[in-house]
Amino acid sequence: MGSSTKGVNGNYDYSFKILLIGDSGVGKSSILLSFISNSVQDLSPTIGVDFKIKQLAVGGKRLKLTIWDTAGQERFGTLISSYYRGAHGIIFVYDVTRRETFTNLLEIWAKEVDLYSTNKDCIKILVGNKVDKDKEREVTREEGMAFAQEHKCLFLECSAKTRENVQQCFKDLVLKILAVPGLLENGSIVVKRQILKQKQVYNAPRVGGCCS
Amino acid sequence: MAALFMKKPSTAELDAYYPVRSECQDGIPKTRFKLRAGKTLSARRWHAAFSEDGHLDIEKVLRRIQRGGVHPSIKGVVLEFLLGCYDPNSTFEERNILRQRRREQYVTWKAECQKMVPVIGTGKFITSPIITDDGQQIEDTTKGSKRDNGVMSTSSQDSEKKVIQWKLFLHQIGLDVVRTDRALVFYESESNQAKLWTVLSVYAWMDNDIGYVQGMNDICSPMVILLDNEEDAFWCFERAMRRLRENFRCSASSIGVQTQLGTLSQIIKAIDPKLHQHLEDLDGGEYLFAFRMLMVLFRREFSFVDSLYLWELMWAMEYNPTIFSLYEGPGGATDASAEPKVDEKLLKQCGKFERNNRKTGSAEQHHNALAVFLVASVLKTKNKQLLKEAKGLDDVVKILGDTTGNLDARKACTEALRIHKKYLSKTQKP
Repeated sequence: MGSSTKGVNGNYDYSFKILLIGDSGVGKSSILLSFISNSVQDLSPTIGVDFKIKQLAVGGKRLKLTIWDTAGQERFGTLISSYYRGAHGIIFVYDVTRRETFTNLLEIWAKEVDLYSTNKDCIKILVGNKVDKDKEREVTREEGMAFAQEHKCLFLECSAKTRENVQQCFKDLVLKILAVPGLLENGSIVVKRQILKQKQVYNAPRVGGCCS
Repeated sequence: MAALFMKKPSTAELDAYYPVRSECQDGIPKTRFKLRAGKTLSARRWHAAFSEDGHLDIEKVLRRIQRGGVHPSIKGVVLEFLLGCYDPNSTFEERNILRQRRREQYVTWKAECQKMVPVIGTGKFITSPIITDDGQQIEDTTKGSKRDNGVMSTSSQDSEKKVIQWKLFLHQIGLDVVRTDRALVFYESESNQAKLWTVLSVYAWMDNDIGYVQGMNDICSPMVILLDNEEDAFWCFERAMRRLRENFRCSASSIGVQTQLGTLSQIIKAIDPKLHQHLEDLDGGEYLFAFRMLMVLFRREFSFVDSLYLWELMWAMEYNPTIFSLYEGPGGATDASAEPKVDEKLLKQCGKFERNNRKTGSAEQHHNALAVFLVASVLKTKNKQLLKEAKGLDDVVKILGDTTGNLDARKACTEALRIHKKYLSKTQKP
């Protein structure tokens, strides 16, 4: 069982957990796809929770981002809330062409996060998507900024379609996470615990036959 | 003899039955299903399986389907039988009367919905909320878009909770409809999108316990494509939901599918304790990573054609001849576990999976869906990689994600049946 280099993980200094939250159809999965694979395509609605991994280097540190993408329908809330635990960063997404997605962030999603996330220092960024459809805009940049200021979030507007600002969203978020010592500690602890767990698994006595 | 000369179409020709938009070719899983002469249920075989007055030799038909699936030209009508819309042991005439009655019932429900939300049935649909959470109508002051096509309710008193609940689903359904099977040419048409939207909306009204949950669109879409008639598509979907609706039941603390995930956990624990332990160590003992597979029956792991093939195989294997009367009977049971034992003759008319259940008498105790064993088979085939390479839940999801487009529906079913047998023998021990 020696070939650890063949593992899926590779090597990294910190591992961060990031969540994408927001209403149905605001473009959470599209932003993620645009960030991960530089591609743009029509996506089906997310069922429950999905995620992607991206490794990158920022400020001389090798990072592994595990980005959890969530379903927008409120009814999945109970399921999604169990994923909030231990998140280092949360990306709140709304659609600048649909006002209700903006107000719902305030009324529903922000409260959910406050209720369930355990990392007090967790970094939040507010992202207004679909700026390519500027003619249909219903939420101004100023409104977004005011919201972000009030809730101590970072703020950006982007377009998953044109890919404008998509990389920047993640970069801003990660840089801020790196600047918070409490979170950093957390990020490396995750790694240590995983290694520990893995050892336990391999050292565990072999379970033979059936258990009934 | 004719079968020998049956043209063997390539998968490309097969995909031509459900054409894909040219710009979307790259983003979708490859189709692996092949029509196989002598194995796939052909239109000719299908028609030959009916007696003069319309009785269907379901045993013969099931045997074919389980071996090689169904030819695209007859997928819709076959599905109606597999899902229990109709009794194979009835005449053409009896079924025509029943079909007529069902269509009328649907039209009645649809009319009820139309009264509340006039856009229903106009070939258009909505993607923006028409009502707030507390039941206030939303006036459209922003722009002249799709939504002012007579969307506003004609009755001002919508205080009833059920009505409000239902209206809150409508824009969510719309948001999902425009993203359902977008790669298929079929959904380039707005009227086809509206057809899917209407069927889901009427269903949400009729089954207000469940209403609408994301994922139901993935289940409904094939029915809308395979059955031209909207009413018939609705009933086919309704029957499919009889099997699946518990998965979509949402409460304050859980989602129904978690019951199946619990079963999955038991199965893996019994047949592969080492793998189960490993998953538990990675904090994956709840098997949430299999959530989507069960929720939308592998639609996202397969191409459109292949998921139809998988469903045919699954539903043929799960088939039992009493399903029709069970659904049709008083109370309309949603679970096949409550029925009496079937005799030898009926046993032959069961699919392979159901037969194994009945032989061991386990159908009476608990009715586990074949889908759960299918997930188990996927996990089992990835066993080595999971044990060796998965160091976190994220790795588990990644390894399983690699199965997209790489699964063989028939092999997966065969393996699922094997695991089912093994599980039964382990759990049946005194």
